[in-house]
Amino acid sequence: MNAITPMKPWKTPLLRLFFFVLGAIKPLQADLKNLSFIHFARWVIVGRNRFPRLSDKQPREELRYDYLIFFSNFNGTWNQYIDAFSAVLSRGLNLIWRWSEKFPGSTPVTPFKGYIGRVQFDTDYYYNCYPKAATNDVKAALRVQDALNDFAKTSQSLSPVEFENAYLEFLARVQPDLGSTGIAPVGT
Amino acid sequence: MANESGQVYGLTILSPIVEDQRLDIDHTTQLRWYLSTLPRDNTSPFAKVSSTYLARLVVLDDVVFVGKPACEEHLKSRYLIFETNFDGDLDTYLRRMASEAGEFVDAVWKHCVGYPGAGNSDAFVAYMKKCQLQTTFFFADVNDRTVKDTLRALQTQSALTHFIERNQGKPPAEIQKLFGVFLERLKSAPAPLPGGRADEKSATEDRPHD
Repeated sequence: MNAITPMKPWKTPLLRLFFFVLGAIKPLQADLKNLSFIHFARWVIVGRNRFPRLSDKQPREELRYDYLIFFSNFNGTWNQYIDAFSAVLSRGLNLIWRWSEKFPGSTPVTPFKGYIGRVQFDTDYYYNCYPKAATNDVKAALRVQDALNDFAKTSQSLSPVEFENAYLEFLARVQPDLGSTGIAPVGT
Repeated sequence: MANESGQVYGLTILSPIVEDQRLDIDHTTQLRWYLSTLPRDNTSPFAKVSSTYLARLVVLDDVVFVGKPACEEHLKSRYLIFETNFDGDLDTYLRRMASEAGEFVDAVWKHCVGYPGAGNSDAFVAYMKKCQLQTTFFFADVNDRTVKDTLRALQTQSALTHFIERNQGKPPAEIQKLFGVFLERLKSAPAPLPGGRADEKSATEDRPHD
């Protein structure tokens, strides 16, 4: 998902300050992390004089607004994503986008979706190294790998009786994280 | 630095696209056509640059007018946005793009102003850095592993699930022996392909549930 919103330049430093605080105080990112369906997301502020100009022949941009560009890589559908954002992160989202022109607030969700629909632009090419894995799949798989690495160190040197106990403990540890990845069912 | 989160680097590039009124089909349209033909699985050019988690290429035609009382304004150039998330440092990544996916890089960025070609990797790196935007805030949910580690873990997760399923109820000594074989096989298994296979079914999809 990509979105671009205009901001009056005097507001830009305030948003930069907010992002600085968000970056410095990790607990403030807890809701974003706990949602656990965003692989990567970023916000980029482009100053009105900061659009790259690489040749004298390229016309110079003459803009009155700075722009906030948002990119998100999430699993699930657009509606699920926006609904979750609105329901769980409304306060944080308001602090980010309140500096953008005409932002209606992230609740109620209908005008919020209308605004996102207006400022969004489409992706022309998208690549994902693990296209069938959701964020939770990745986290679960890494936990399984860590548990297996631990168990593998001793599993072959145990007596069968010791192995049985250790194997059961290992299964109990990995059980919540087992499974295989695949195409998610599409729900609306 | 906001471009980085743990081991993950978030690169954002904004490259102005060449405007040439003399062309029947402008550069933007040619670029979009090309992008629409590119594979997205393990034959993607980004699978060659194997430290790439997720990447996108987007043409930004114009900025957005959100309605009055905001002012309506327009860009004078169109821009190609390249957003990518990878493990490692920026210079190494850009040099890998130039050397391992040079043909693709040329096919895309030849439509952009001032592009020097991927053949000269120093010039290419310098060009990309001129087009780079500093990320203001970057969020990476998992930021302490490499792409290779992550793909290997997903492979392990699936294989272990099958192992447990197949061997439940067997005597401990037999499971122990089979587990040793399983560990060896897993260790020597070929690394999973980044990007997956377009025609590949997942293990779950292959296994009908009773």
